[in-house]
Amino acid sequence: MSNNKLSNHGRRRFLKLAGSGLAITGGVGLLPGQLRRQLLPISDAAATPSDPADLFFVGTDGWISLPASPGIPTFHPDTYAPTNFTTYIFGFRNMTGIPPMDPADPTKMNPLVIGQKNKAQHSAPLFWVDEFTGANTFRLDLLNVGLAQRPDLTDSHSVHWHGFRNVIPFFDGEPTGSFAVPVGRVFRYIFKPRDPGTYMFHCHVEDTEHVHMGMTGLVFVRPRQNGNTALYPSGKFAYNDGDGSTGFDREFAMFLSEVWAESHWADAHIQLPEWSDYKVDFTLLNGRVYPDTLEPNSPYNAATSTHAYDTQRQADGDLVVPTGRPDLQYQPLSALATCNAGERVLLRFANLGFKEASMTLAGIKMKVVGKDATPMRGVIAGGTARTGVDTSYETNTLSFGAGESFDAIFTAPPHSGGSGPDVYILYNRAYDRSDNQSGGAGGQRTEIRVYPPGTISPQTIPNENPTVA
Amino acid sequence: MNTSTFKQLSRQLATPLAVAISSLLVGLPTMVMADPLGVACTNGTSPNPSFNLTTQTGDIQLPDGNTMYMWGYSVQGQSFQHPGPVLCVNQGDTVTITLTNNLPEKVSIMFPGQTDILANGVPAQPEFTASRATSLTTTAPAQANNIPGVVQYSFVANLPGTYIYESGTNPQKQVRMGLFGTLIVRPTGTGGGSDHLYNRADSRFTTSDNSAGAGNWDEEFLALLSEIDPYQHWAVEVNPAANFNFNNYKPRYWLINGRGFPDSIADNAAAFLPNQPYGALARVHPYGAPAHPYPGAIRYLNVGSEDYPFHPHGNNGSVVGRDGRSLETATGDDVSFEKFIVPVGPGQTWDVLFSWHDAEHYSPDNPVDINIPQIANQFFGQFYNFSPYLGVQGQQPPNWSTLNTCGEYYIISHNHALYQITSWGVNMTGPITYMRVDPPLPNSCAQ
Repeated sequence: MSNNKLSNHGRRRFLKLAGSGLAITGGVGLLPGQLRRQLLPISDAAATPSDPADLFFVGTDGWISLPASPGIPTFHPDTYAPTNFTTYIFGFRNMTGIPPMDPADPTKMNPLVIGQKNKAQHSAPLFWVDEFTGANTFRLDLLNVGLAQRPDLTDSHSVHWHGFRNVIPFFDGEPTGSFAVPVGRVFRYIFKPRDPGTYMFHCHVEDTEHVHMGMTGLVFVRPRQNGNTALYPSGKFAYNDGDGSTGFDREFAMFLSEVWAESHWADAHIQLPEWSDYKVDFTLLNGRVYPDTLEPNSPYNAATSTHAYDTQRQADGDLVVPTGRPDLQYQPLSALATCNAGERVLLRFANLGFKEASMTLAGIKMKVVGKDATPMRGVIAGGTARTGVDTSYETNTLSFGAGESFDAIFTAPPHSGGSGPDVYILYNRAYDRSDNQSGGAGGQRTEIRVYPPGTISPQTIPNENPTVA
Repeated sequence: MNTSTFKQLSRQLATPLAVAISSLLVGLPTMVMADPLGVACTNGTSPNPSFNLTTQTGDIQLPDGNTMYMWGYSVQGQSFQHPGPVLCVNQGDTVTITLTNNLPEKVSIMFPGQTDILANGVPAQPEFTASRATSLTTTAPAQANNIPGVVQYSFVANLPGTYIYESGTNPQKQVRMGLFGTLIVRPTGTGGGSDHLYNRADSRFTTSDNSAGAGNWDEEFLALLSEIDPYQHWAVEVNPAANFNFNNYKPRYWLINGRGFPDSIADNAAAFLPNQPYGALARVHPYGAPAHPYPGAIRYLNVGSEDYPFHPHGNNGSVVGRDGRSLETATGDDVSFEKFIVPVGPGQTWDVLFSWHDAEHYSPDNPVDINIPQIANQFFGQFYNFSPYLGVQGQQPPNWSTLNTCGEYYIISHNHALYQITSWGVNMTGPITYMRVDPPLPNSCAQ
């Protein structure tokens, strides 16, 4: 998808948006020639043919489902919410493989893409990138299709890769130091990640609001060491450890976010929240609250899941409806983790809530092998590489705050021998964040299910729980 | 929320940066303000530096247009300032601090991280009334009949690093009213020096003396994070002896170096912020030998009651010290770690080395491999250079006044508990600052 492919579209929109979306006023016709070339979208003929992106994201609004009872007077569930849903969000959608322009009329946007307005998901689509080794530039296109519930807002969107080292402002998505993507426009972000580990991403426009409204997700970088089966049989690693110490058999993103019901309600109802009143009503793991966290992943599209958990779509481009759980249509990612006894399992934690979390895995020790996309190693004197003193450690509780990430590996204990899996609970030890307001279990809580060796086939993509034989 | 808010912010931004660019300096007698950016030390004379501080009251400006009544430590003979002066001493110095108290209640100074502190020549001790602690350390009496109370503290600054100093008396009131400041102890041992954080060769940071080319400057910065509940301050302003109910304590403002964004990026001693002398803009050059072989340093401090997960974009800072202790093993092995969030807890200090590498060397001759969208397809900000390239300013739209001066990059740093980057209703304020990356020298930037 080329940015210039949108030129014709952009030209029409530009005349509407000038003076409202951008600080540009005055008639284009009055401009000097040089500026006119800058301002007027150039023709398709002048555009360089462009390769398709590795990922194509759409930014928009939508609705998700959180436990309706007990309600929060005025704010939850939202009276504007469509059937099956409770809570207004902003979010992303993965539309990789769908051309942005209408194949029947390349001067128009593809109705399949425009049709995803008001159909955002949370958490944002999980994606991953290989460490940059010289040629594998990663390209992510972001198209802003606008907000259906708030047509009065012309909010731009962006993708900020949180933690990306030595970023240039142009690809950072922070709109004061560079720019963001207006409604109806697309932009291609280029990433050449050189540091493996677990990161997160979010829209950085009106940061407080767009992050809290749900434009947040997890991204990680695979090390170049991957494929080295001599260091660990699976050939999968968290870092370039050189010794196999971060090798694993299965991996699960565990993405933490929060919902303050009043602020979500306010955005749907054309109100402004007072952010210093912030509080946490719901805590989410991969966009869901327990026990929804245990529900299966929505099925993924294997052909387009090489870099993302790409949830299957219906003919109209909308996300598939999970069997029996239409309320989870826009929360497609499960937080359940299944594995076989003896396997090493990597949990990738990232927190884009605003408060600290304290994730406890009861009954299994976790080994912290990385945090904030850095292996747990010191630096050897005179060098810069983190190949020095091993600072990894074992724990059963990870306490971390807003914007932090942890990589923790556990070895699944032997199966106890009974029927079915052994179950271990992973939960936020700050109990008010794992109780859904109603007392009892909820919030950031899920299960690790350990089966006898050989029960579950190998994992194809992250967070996948292959069918138990 | 919407475009008009963004434009409003843009207008707010225009003033401080214009001042920053013009480098207006207000010379303060004992404060080193030669550099408009970076740590502005109040120095003593080694090896026996002596500081005379007073408690004063005054007002500060906040990003929503509000002003706030504060208490503060100031250098004797000078007017109220917030936060207290950055006291810089050398390791091994015998530091003497005389506190003259003008407030109507007794006050004190704690020096967390220092040992064997003397007050008036005897070991500083908590104070008690009827077996209940009334102060964590020896106090200066309240001012009475226009006669101030005085106490003199002294200690040997044995360990290099970054430290808080703050009131130990009724601290939930006095510290929150603003009685806090920064103490920097510079290493003098083997492997140390004034341009090091610790006595380790790998803790050296960039100064104008160890980097090449005219226009280099010190890359040592301060990030002192704090918070304000306006109702507490109003209560004390009306009646200094008021019993504010701390169960109702709720911060509405969060600050960096005593300022909220965009004031935070104005120069040190900016004339329009007469009581808030410390800026937080981190201006650096790209890292790289031979001209610029060392990183920059940031000293983080949290004098508030909440956790502040601070997030410098594009920068995994290397945490080399916490609470005035180098992160090393008993045998000197490096056990530093990198963080893209610096989670500074209440009362903690973190010492971080950071740098910005030009990883891809994008330039007009090595262009980004996309079609750059025209500006009509961008929603851009005040600091944007209208180009992907460092040192290149692209074409700007008419009727647009950029704050970018020479194609430099601006990369944000901010608190990631995002409700904290607001000011009682005004979003995109609070503890936000920028890392300004200048093009490599020589460049066309105003120095």
